[in-house]
Amino acid sequence: MIRTDVVILRGANGPTEDDARWSHDWGTTIVTVETSAALPPGHLAARPLATAGHADRAEAPFRIALTAAAVLVLVLLGAIVVLLFNGGFPVLVRFGLSFFVSTDWNPVTENYGAAVMLYGTLVTSALALLIAFPTSLGIALFLTEVAPEQLRRPIGTAIQLLAAVPSIIYGMWGFFVVVPLMSAHVQPLLKAVFGPIPLIGALFSGAPAGTGILTAGLILALMIMPFITAMFVEIFSSVPPVLKEAAYGVGATTTEVFRAVTVPYGRSALVGAVMLGLGRALGETMAVTFVIGNANRIAASLYSPGASIASTIANEFPEAGPGSIKLNALLELGFSLFVISFLVLALARFLVRNRLEA
Amino acid sequence: MNIELSEMSEQFRQRRADLGDPGETKTKISIAGLDFFYGDVKALHGIDMKISERRVTAMIGPSGCGKSTLLRVLNRMYDLYPGQKAVGRVELDGEDILSPDVPAAALRRRVGMVFQKPTPFPMSIRDNIAYGIRLGEKVSKSELDDRIEWSLSKAALWNEVKDRLHTSATGLSGGQQQRLCIARTVAVKPDVVLLDEPTSALDPISTARIEELIDELKSEFTIVIVTHNMQQAARCSDMTGFFLLGKLIEFGETAGIFTNPKDERTQDYITGRFG
Repeated sequence: MIRTDVVILRGANGPTEDDARWSHDWGTTIVTVETSAALPPGHLAARPLATAGHADRAEAPFRIALTAAAVLVLVLLGAIVVLLFNGGFPVLVRFGLSFFVSTDWNPVTENYGAAVMLYGTLVTSALALLIAFPTSLGIALFLTEVAPEQLRRPIGTAIQLLAAVPSIIYGMWGFFVVVPLMSAHVQPLLKAVFGPIPLIGALFSGAPAGTGILTAGLILALMIMPFITAMFVEIFSSVPPVLKEAAYGVGATTTEVFRAVTVPYGRSALVGAVMLGLGRALGETMAVTFVIGNANRIAASLYSPGASIASTIANEFPEAGPGSIKLNALLELGFSLFVISFLVLALARFLVRNRLEA
Repeated sequence: MNIELSEMSEQFRQRRADLGDPGETKTKISIAGLDFFYGDVKALHGIDMKISERRVTAMIGPSGCGKSTLLRVLNRMYDLYPGQKAVGRVELDGEDILSPDVPAAALRRRVGMVFQKPTPFPMSIRDNIAYGIRLGEKVSKSELDDRIEWSLSKAALWNEVKDRLHTSATGLSGGQQQRLCIARTVAVKPDVVLLDEPTSALDPISTARIEELIDELKSEFTIVIVTHNMQQAARCSDMTGFFLLGKLIEFGETAGIFTNPKDERTQDYITGRFG
């Protein structure tokens, strides 16, 4: 076939003089097509539309079922918000906003504060991102740009399998494998390297117990890394090859193409993926409970044990009697986590959507 | 500013002029016995061709005839894809560019490429141009500004974008984006500019502007254009090669190819009898 910019269809008379001049000017080729024989008579005859109505009647129950399923989601969300808010409200009445800044957690005196858990949740999640983001970026770029074809599939599959491992497995593995490793090798090493530096040294001070904030952050990083990587791979594969070729075309190397085209092209989607990962890290319970050390204190050192919102709820819930202020405090903790996660997810959605519109 | 620009352009022209009298046809790229493979599929069969300096060479032929493949050999773009392989000899100013000793990035700075669809980078108009320049050269800010203005003027885009250099390039119209891509290619001062169906995604008016541009650019650059539009080839090229099924059927002066083709298949193609 000759490729043409415009194909003109004409009847049996062929192109007119105007057509010929126009086609010459714009460089199109005229293709003349004989018009087909007349359509069979009667194709336009009126047929009553009412007889076609039976399909619409079957639609109604289907529509109602679908709408009900969708409404269920809203009801569920509403029910959760109401339970958490109502359950936690007595705590706000009793302690006021100081609940969020108090580090007390004393069942005997019935004084409760959320500061330790908020700190533990935010710091472990931040650590997790700090470790997981560059690693995921590296793995994803390797998989999409550098890896030979034979390696892409096995590594890609391994990442998806890792993302599917239940969090309690990560918790047990973390407790029995990572904690001893941290205690025997990693923490003493970090202490030796960073210890003498002012300010930063404080982060790595204290006994290398193995458990603690740092280890929790590390386990979280390992858990969200496959998830983030999988999304990064999707984003990088969606970069049009011709755009990358254009960058190669002005003399860019592979590294320069990453920096100038691949990463900026997917920038907001990348941020969105990271936020989704962060959302996971914030709410992660079992793995963190295993390794965070479960102590109600805030210390400068990342080696010190702490607690996250989710780990506290998991640990304390069995001992919180019905109607007790402790139960209210746990529910209020749950509400705070809900709000934090919601904000992070909303931000993620916002960033991802922005990119789709661009 | 304008004086500086015309000076720069003049120097550039001078540099070119030193290479030989524009009236003569000096060979810029010499292709000999070139075969190309996509895996096991042979897409080019023994291509021999000499591309003259500061001329527009058009490559025409039906889809799948290998003309775009040949274009992608000239800047080794095929290198990016494992399994694609070129065998034979392609010389740029006498140097074999297929040799593994020639770094692809350096080659591509001398043999620039403009694609079928506009490919602005996801950055500002200014950065789109600056990107390529900064990759290979250390330039001061004023030099960079001059070069950006020079290349955008070359691509007949300067007047349209000079007040919005810091806005995103993706906000330009299709025709403007394509001229931006030409400016970006020209900005790194290549010897050769490859155009791969540069107007097939554009409206007739933008197409006409790009064709004018090609005519102007040939005073400074060697241009190779792949096109499906034979009128375009006839209008803006000096030499034309007709490809069919991976073979170069006929190659010669454009006027000769279109008015008096020697091969029957060329005749059939340009008269639209098959394709």
